[in-house]
Amino acid sequence: MAKLQSGNGVQRGTVESLAEHESSSLGSDSELNGFTEIQTDKYGFIGGAQQSTGENDNIPPDVLRQREAKWLDMLNSWDKWMAKKHKKVKLRCQKGIPPSLRGRAWLYLSGGKVKKEQNQGKFQGSKSHDARFKELDSQPGDPKWLDVIERDLHRQFPFHEMFVARGGHGQQDLFRVLKAYTLHRPEEGYCQAQAPIAAVLLMHMPAEDAFWGLVQICEKYLPGYYSAGLEAIQLDGEILFALLKRVAPVAHRHLKKYKIDPILYMTEWFMCAFSRTLPWASVLRMWDMFFCEGVKIVFRVGLVLLKCMLGSQEKLKACQGQYETMELLRSIEPRYMQEAFLVQEVIELPVSERDIEKEHLFQLRRWKETNGELHCKSPPRMHGAKAIIAAEPPSRQDLKQNPTIIVEVPQTTESKMEKGKKAKSKMQKKTDMKNTSPPLNPYPLPSDPALVSDTLAPSESQHLQGSNQSLSSTENDTYL
Amino acid sequence: VNMGTDLAYNFVFKVVLIGESGVGKSNLLSRFTKNEFNHDSRTTIGVEFSTRSIQVDSITIKAQIWDTAGLERYRAITSAYYRGAVGALLVYDITKHLTYENVERWLKELYHHADPHIVVMLVGNKSDLANVRTVPTEEARDFAEAKGLLFMETSALESTNVESAFLEVLTAIHKKVASKEVTRGSISAVTLGPSSEFNEEKRSCCNSS
Repeated sequence: MAKLQSGNGVQRGTVESLAEHESSSLGSDSELNGFTEIQTDKYGFIGGAQQSTGENDNIPPDVLRQREAKWLDMLNSWDKWMAKKHKKVKLRCQKGIPPSLRGRAWLYLSGGKVKKEQNQGKFQGSKSHDARFKELDSQPGDPKWLDVIERDLHRQFPFHEMFVARGGHGQQDLFRVLKAYTLHRPEEGYCQAQAPIAAVLLMHMPAEDAFWGLVQICEKYLPGYYSAGLEAIQLDGEILFALLKRVAPVAHRHLKKYKIDPILYMTEWFMCAFSRTLPWASVLRMWDMFFCEGVKIVFRVGLVLLKCMLGSQEKLKACQGQYETMELLRSIEPRYMQEAFLVQEVIELPVSERDIEKEHLFQLRRWKETNGELHCKSPPRMHGAKAIIAAEPPSRQDLKQNPTIIVEVPQTTESKMEKGKKAKSKMQKKTDMKNTSPPLNPYPLPSDPALVSDTLAPSESQHLQGSNQSLSSTENDTYL
Repeated sequence: VNMGTDLAYNFVFKVVLIGESGVGKSNLLSRFTKNEFNHDSRTTIGVEFSTRSIQVDSITIKAQIWDTAGLERYRAITSAYYRGAVGALLVYDITKHLTYENVERWLKELYHHADPHIVVMLVGNKSDLANVRTVPTEEARDFAEAKGLLFMETSALESTNVESAFLEVLTAIHKKVASKEVTRGSISAVTLGPSSEFNEEKRSCCNSS
């Protein structure tokens, strides 16, 4: 695999050399073996616009470890945290989810974890007791959709090591996830913007998890975005434009003056949840908040970027025209997309769910006056993790983590137990979640009966005592 | 900033690239405007655009080329893209007959949203893959003629005929403008670029007819 370089992620080697060899791809990722000169940045990008510019990671390792411990604690009693300490969950998402737990956290936040567990087997109507995803995975799929999906596989993040190899595992998994969705929702089929969404998910979790993450995004967070007619995205464009009037009246006036339809600039932003626009560090921070707080994050990012690029008369002097304005919006200045700046702006922007819903109603009325009824009536969207879990409260079983590698944890000191926990979390991240026989869970939830033998994890009370990150811990972590 | 460094131009023509997903629109755009080709160019979502200025006779024309997503459901949002377009390249893939069969639907789409005087060229792309062709050249050429469209086969990969295709379209547009075939309204849209609201704007060497 490509050499990973810590530090500033400077690109060496050439991407062209990869392209030369694509005809010899054997469907494996091994073609990267010959290119010892190629180096990826810490997110896996070999080249392309989203390769990190070498910004320093300003989070000290010990803070990162603290955060990991906090997140593990939260994930272990997720329903309690969501019910009673949601504000803290939100704050932690705003600070950024530790990379080692990001995939898992996203799956929990989105409700994908619950969906996955509820569809593990004994699916109604299925002949087998296979998990829903496995079932969909094994079906051939509609050739009409497969054709389009196949054409897109090599066109998502082609500069990312996971997707660079034609027919490689990354592209294969992308195919599986997208195909499964078209089978899961045959009336919806495939929409091209789903590919980058699925690709981002796959960078953080295995195919089955990514599938459920995609389901939740398409059905709960952004319903109707990918449906025929694309009415939802058009409506959101109008909502964005309307909100802009309050947030940045100068920008609003300019866009109105030059008759720049929101669709001309916000389509890719919103449909791909900014994954094709922002530098990667910012994408991840946005998605952390998006999974927690819902679409208002997407709106806020859009509004911030519009305000920054078009918000002052001075800036507007340079773009007196539709085309010039669109060019400007297409090349957002890096300083406005920089992680720390953008996160702060998004958190501070006073645009709420209520604002969005209110505007939605107004724009919907306007739409109906011009275009009649919506062709595609999507369900109302869920504004984040809390709404999702409240709408469909999961059972304890649904939230249980299922480690497939059990680390023998000696029943001695608290610190050793913490280490075992962390080692396990890292391994879990990398393994495929194939449950052949039910493994023992050494981290039983408080109400669960003792499932473990004495030689494994300590007893329940010791576990809770051992954690120094209880529900009532104060937030000393001020890193943003 | 942009305007200051541009060569002086007489006209701005907006040209749209339309056609099924995967036929090569984005690479035709990058080939013509940047002389670039990428096997793995990203799926177009929303709109991409680029410009290039060319000489037609003694006139400098700035071609503003717009590229959009080809997938069927994106047609719902493309009406904004057509606005002000005076030319269109309707692209199909010579190795995928289905993309050619859908040309009729694209034409319908085009005439529904765009200026009635729009110059249209039917472009059969990927001519470098002629060994696995499924659309005979003559058949497509006859169809184009019957529909009053220009016609060319191109290869964005090998750069074959890409310049010629755009040049022919831009020349045809210029001819229409010069011959005043178009209405007054369209002419202002063509000569003054973005919007007819800004007739007063001064551009260097702008010769409105």
